[in-house]
Amino acid sequence: MGLLLDQLEQLLEADVDDVGDDPVMVRLLPDGHRGDPEIAADYRELTEASLRTGKADDLATVRATLPDGGGEVRLDADQAAAWLRTTNDLRLALGTRLDISEDSEPPEEITGDEDHQMAVYYWLTALQGSLVDALVAGRAARS
Amino acid sequence: MAGPLAPTRTPETTDEEQGDLDRPWVTIVWNDPVNLMTYVTFVLQELFGYDEPTATKLMLQVHHEGKAIVSSGPRERMEHDTSRLHAYGLWASFQRDS
Repeated sequence: MGLLLDQLEQLLEADVDDVGDDPVMVRLLPDGHRGDPEIAADYRELTEASLRTGKADDLATVRATLPDGGGEVRLDADQAAAWLRTTNDLRLALGTRLDISEDSEPPEEITGDEDHQMAVYYWLTALQGSLVDALVAGRAARS
Repeated sequence: MAGPLAPTRTPETTDEEQGDLDRPWVTIVWNDPVNLMTYVTFVLQELFGYDEPTATKLMLQVHHEGKAIVSSGPRERMEHDTSRLHAYGLWASFQRDS
């Protein structure tokens, strides 16, 4: 997990100019308008810096609440939201790199690097799914 | 985490937004293969204060039809809504309502 966070951090610290070329960055910081490059550029100027800052802050929260060497993680609501967004960003980044489709399935055995990354992707998916379930259950309990 | 916001978003039109700008802008969420269905529903409830059936209906529309309008109003607010969705990794954009 720490290694994944490092990779996401590097992506987020990359130059603003890089967004146009890298499909992962395009997915993490998408165009706000489809079809009108001028409106899309305005949107990017208006929002991209704060989106990057938000993602970096979330990442820092996850890192700070990640126990050394694993173990139980207890999160308050804000921390859980940061985990939710960061695990999703990791899934978006990995999923884009791996060209995940709605028909993709976890690898049955790990024979190469791509299988390994797929396994990590599905592990993150399970983690995120259980986080969402916990937050939904928490919300139901409050109401 | 913030609690639910007001459930409905009424477009507030000011004088300078009249004329050509009578058509409101909309925020659209597009289908993508990564975001979990439960996550999309959760985020729509969290950001827009939709109740669970409304959020689920919108999520299913995204899933089956490829996209759904999740909010409408002045351009500035649609830009804001789009950026809030982008913060959660949803594939969103805004445009003039067609």
